Amino acid sequence: MSIEIRGLTKHYGATRAADGIDLVLGDSVQVLALIGPSGGGKSTLLRLVGGLERPDEGAIRIDGAEMPRDEESLRRWRRQNGFLFQSFNLFPHLTALENIILPLVEVHGWKRGEADARAREVVARFGMGTHLEKHPAQLSGGQQQRIALARAMAHEPSLLLLDEPTSALDPEMKAEVLDLIEELCQAGQRIILSTHEMGFARGSADAVVFLGAGQLVESGSAADLFDRPRSATVEAFLSKVMKW
Amino acid sequence: MWKNVLSALISVVLLTTFAFVVWVVATHDYRWEAIAPYRNNLFSGWLVTLLVSVVSLALSVFVGVLLTAGQLSGDRLSPFLCRTYVEVIRGTPLLTQILIGYYLIANAIDWHSSLGVGIVVLSCFSGAYLSEIFRGGIESIPRSQWLSARAIGLTGAQTYRFVVIPQAVRRVLPAAAGQFANLVKDSSLLFVISVHEFTMQAREVNANSYATFEAYLPLVLGYFLLTFPISLLSRHLERRYRYEH
Repeated sequence: MSIEIRGLTKHYGATRAADGIDLVLGDSVQVLALIGPSGGGKSTLLRLVGGLERPDEGAIRIDGAEMPRDEESLRRWRRQNGFLFQSFNLFPHLTALENIILPLVEVHGWKRGEADARAREVVARFGMGTHLEKHPAQLSGGQQQRIALARAMAHEPSLLLLDEPTSALDPEMKAEVLDLIEELCQAGQRIILSTHEMGFARGSADAVVFLGAGQLVESGSAADLFDRPRSATVEAFLSKVMKW
Repeated sequence: MWKNVLSALISVVLLTTFAFVVWVVATHDYRWEAIAPYRNNLFSGWLVTLLVSVVSLALSVFVGVLLTAGQLSGDRLSPFLCRTYVEVIRGTPLLTQILIGYYLIANAIDWHSSLGVGIVVLSCFSGAYLSEIFRGGIESIPRSQWLSARAIGLTGAQTYRFVVIPQAVRRVLPAAAGQFANLVKDSSLLFVISVHEFTMQAREVNANSYATFEAYLPLVLGYFLLTFPISLLSRHLERRYRYEH
């Protein structure tokens, strides 16, 4: 994907969640992983790229298109993407199926029948076919996250943004969800994800960005960043998280 | 063990008290024949209370929704105005509001229907309480739900319609049902502007017959017949909107 980020800044009160981030990636990158300590700015960068928040300063360009500022165009920007949250954020009053159908019908203007068929197709592909009529509270964390992924995927987003998609899951469920994401990567889906799963970042991402204190500390190919980190911060971080 | 003892104790106390009250009330020596000639007055009063309740209930929901929308709106002025309205209405006696509404305000615009003015004042009063209940319900929906709605590309109006309101309805039902029951009973204050509602009729029956208990006891049954269906409906709706199984 072609991504160009210039001087991106976002403050929450005194906290500099994004502090002048510059990043240019070419078309060869299909999957980008954001890594780094918690509170380092990964989620903020994802939300800014996804158009969920407006930057204080700076600009984002994806495939040559500059991210708009006004709410109306920003909503169109969001609609092209799919967004997955750490805590799933399914709508608890709707069944799994309705959670997926709602955006297809109300946001993307599909006919109800088409949306229903599409939702069933995606859910079946994610191995969740028997849980369609259940409410989120009746599903395990891993199942909820797979439904949330189906919701983010159903309209075939041009870019999928995953914010620590497995952080709230226990190991077995983590693996299930990572398998699915890996499958999407294989199928050519363009993805930016923030993650603490270093093995996944290393194995599946074409490029890795390390964020700390709202700044881009280092970026490069997965092999470069993991095997030959240039900065001491990244080296210290990796030696800590890879130790166990 | 202690929990069972405590719950048994509570049941015994409640049952004994209840039995005692029923026994005292039921064994009193009533003179029902004294109020028999006035039974039609009581019934017509009950019908007026029914009318006032139903119309004010609908109107107060309307007022409550408007006030809630005003409080949640983006600009600065309307939240301030709605907040002030709610504080003034909740902080002052309904009795005074009815008197001012009828003798000063309605009079100034030459409107002399005590029934009509009574309904409007009650709705404005109850609407203030409802708006706080509605606002609490909407603000109790977690931020993550709003964010999720934003992420899938819903507009603000769609977020309210498909995500926030369906979840808030269930949360506000019990409190709103309580407020509706209050509204029914508060309508008895309309006697001060001579609306011939249920309580006013009972007062008149008492004045004419000198049979105090016989005149006022029908109020127990009459008001309960109005408030109990509200409770039942609220419970039914709560079950219908239940989603955490």
